[in-house]
Amino acid sequence: MDCRAALGKIEAKADGLLPREAEAELAAHLAGCPACAAEDASISATGPVLRALTAIRAMGKAPALDAMWTRVRAGIEESREARRRPSWVARWAWIPAAVALAVLALLFYPAGTDRSPFHPSTFDVAVEDVESEVATVALVDKGEDLPRVIWIIEDAKT
Amino acid sequence: MNGREDGGVPDDALIRTTLAGDDGAFGELVERYKGRAFAVAVGIVGDGDDALDVVQDSFIKAYYKLKEFRFGSNFYTWFYRLLVNQAIDRWRKSARSAEVPFDESWLSGDASPTGAFAYPRTPEDLARDRELGDALQRAVDSLPEYHRAVIVLREVDGMAYDEIAKVLGCSVGTVMSRLHYARGKLKEALKAHREG
Repeated sequence: MDCRAALGKIEAKADGLLPREAEAELAAHLAGCPACAAEDASISATGPVLRALTAIRAMGKAPALDAMWTRVRAGIEESREARRRPSWVARWAWIPAAVALAVLALLFYPAGTDRSPFHPSTFDVAVEDVESEVATVALVDKGEDLPRVIWIIEDAKT
Repeated sequence: MNGREDGGVPDDALIRTTLAGDDGAFGELVERYKGRAFAVAVGIVGDGDDALDVVQDSFIKAYYKLKEFRFGSNFYTWFYRLLVNQAIDRWRKSARSAEVPFDESWLSGDASPTGAFAYPRTPEDLARDRELGDALQRAVDSLPEYHRAVIVLREVDGMAYDEIAKVLGCSVGTVMSRLHYARGKLKEALKAHREG
């Protein structure tokens, strides 16, 4: 076996993929070739040294690693809570949406009629107390043949 | 490893139990793989604290993605895909290309050598040779991220080529090529150290 062939087999040997016969042949070459032997020593050492380096790091973090399930469980619970809890935006987003809806309703009501939508003075609007026991107040448009309720405000306290 | 080698409950069974609502079963999976996961993560990100965060985040992600797991495949291959991606993301975000200090704290007795996974044969020798540890870490840090992942999965975790290919979503040929490149870099670092 020449040096070129030997260098091609050193990595396979390090991975344990070299057949026994080829390994014996390589060993014979390495015994008589210091350059290839040095190459083999360096390649063969990468795995053990890398594992040793990792092991040292792991030893330094052993207590934290022991508590990994506690950390993971806490993280799972936190994520679960976050998924259950509506976000701040979601919690208050209905307010501007409701205001916008109310404004639009007042501006464009009644859409599709001959009334000008931007002149609420043409509305024949009256406020009526339609539920005396719970003091429900209704904003009613009496401009049509039949009165139509525009808005109802309920307040059980008054 | 699928949980049968040590007489434990198979991974598939633990996953089914977890999906049925028993989080304790997932805890067993965490206990089973946390050591290996940490070794892979620290090999990629370099820093121990970052590696702990990566392992934690990967397990949490795996918990919520468990419904997507295909029974019959290996849990650890599936999990390692999450882990390696998480570690690479972490590495990119932290931009921690700076040198990571070699940790000698355990030599002073600050940490117990009884860790959570099978330790290599000579960490003591390496701990006494700070320069070699630093040289190797610099060489690892200089590797492109996927080359680093390949060498760590192969040399630290002992994964086969085809398993690494599955984890990284590439061909076996690509794995072999990256491994050859990475080994070459580490070999140079070791040689340079030896030659002084």
